[in-house]
Amino acid sequence: MFDSIKKEFTTRTLVLIPIAIAINIAIGELVVRLKLPVYLDSIGTVLVGALAGPWAGALTGALANIIWGLINPFAVPFFYVAAVIGLLAGFAGRRGAFEKESPQWLSVLIGAVFVFSLTLFILAFTNATTDETGFTSYPAMAELFSRYAVIFIVAIVVGGAIGYFLLQKGGYAGIWGLVTGIVAAIISAPTAAYVFGGVTGSGTDLLVAAFRASGGNILASVMAQGAVSDPFDKMLSFMVVWLVLRSLPARYKAQ
Amino acid sequence: MNSFSMYAARKSGLHNLHPLTKSTLALCLAIAGLVLPGNWTGYFLVLCIVFPLAFWGKIFTRFSRSLWNVSLPLAISLFLIQSIFWGESEILFTIGPIAFKEEGARFALINMGRILLVMSDFILFAMSTRPDTLMISLKQAGAPSGIAYIIVTTLQIIPRFQRKASTILDSQRSRGLETEGNILVRIRAFIPIILPLVIGSLIEVEERSIAIEARGFNSNKKETSLIEIPDTNTQSLLRRIFIIISMLGIIARIAWQLLI
Repeated sequence: MFDSIKKEFTTRTLVLIPIAIAINIAIGELVVRLKLPVYLDSIGTVLVGALAGPWAGALTGALANIIWGLINPFAVPFFYVAAVIGLLAGFAGRRGAFEKESPQWLSVLIGAVFVFSLTLFILAFTNATTDETGFTSYPAMAELFSRYAVIFIVAIVVGGAIGYFLLQKGGYAGIWGLVTGIVAAIISAPTAAYVFGGVTGSGTDLLVAAFRASGGNILASVMAQGAVSDPFDKMLSFMVVWLVLRSLPARYKAQ
Repeated sequence: MNSFSMYAARKSGLHNLHPLTKSTLALCLAIAGLVLPGNWTGYFLVLCIVFPLAFWGKIFTRFSRSLWNVSLPLAISLFLIQSIFWGESEILFTIGPIAFKEEGARFALINMGRILLVMSDFILFAMSTRPDTLMISLKQAGAPSGIAYIIVTTLQIIPRFQRKASTILDSQRSRGLETEGNILVRIRAFIPIILPLVIGSLIEVEERSIAIEARGFNSNKKETSLIEIPDTNTQSLLRRIFIIISMLGIIARIAWQLLI
């Protein structure tokens, strides 16, 4: 066990990690300059996970957030989330998610299922009712399907299109990214809700507000916000790494 | 040197403290703010401990400006979201159709204390501690040298990477890449900018690892340091006390939560 961890930390890995953290921060700022509605601040972490292994990925994530804290204290309490992202990217890399090409129909399926469940999730949340005792009940699925049939069909088509045009042959990387995003949303919510009262001072606060207004408590609203923005964000990050590794010279990959 | 940190060089007692003393104190304060009961503990600790320490470190102006910049957007966001969307209690005041409720506003105020404490605590630490001395002291306390290398190198190369990203952005623009316009245009601009950045840096990894191995990075001999970090027995005692208080705080909080 310890030997395999030690084997990940070669000189090359140790050199790669600072560069990966710098990539995280440089791209994170670039995204803000291009005014894109995502974070994409874990591309370097995913890259280390894919190239060097899960433990190196986890260390990169944790250190990235702590170092970022030197100018933005907000990132520090979330260091464990970044570590888990790196860890999962490493496991994805071991399974070959960044090398294998997936059939295109799989990408379409993944996209469709993802947008479909996202829609279901948002609709279930916004249609939830809270009675006087504070007990929240969610609407029955069959009722939702019949009431919003058109929206669900649109969601499936849009998701399929996203899968076809965006994921293309990177379906395996995409699905690992989705899973990572869901995990990240779940484990970051308690910290976001408890330490920061559910706000980050950024655009996603509006989402928290919307879920809050529909009757969720803070923890549930933050988790719901994360479930909407995180999976998509992490899917994009994993896709970028997949693209990068495909465009690397073969000589580099051989090492 | 253009470095990635908030460090503000001053000659003060706070700056002269051992970096580990400051980091354990920062940890202890943050944990205290999170585990102690009472609604106003956060504000109390900021006023009675963090602010005087900032005065002592002669960084009060810079410290408070930076704290203000970081927490103001959070405070506004927190207040709006909690007071508009939460609680059915009395209405404080209304602007048009929007009603601000007391319960939410109170909740926001209580939470802001905790946020302020965590933020001010980190800013104080980052402003009064030179990153390289922190690393050397961590190494002397027995942390693996790989970790120290990673942190010091990262701090040095981040500014370079930020410049590199700007250069690539500008050069792709001069080749005719559109980076402004609707969201689709901006998304399409993203890939031609980050691919050169990431691939270029991966190629650099090879050069760097050869360079540091040639300088004895993997040597097992004990290293010596150019910078001496003064330490006292009182400080090492203080560090132990801070760590014990933090651990007791967490245990007490968990026990309390389980019992009640």
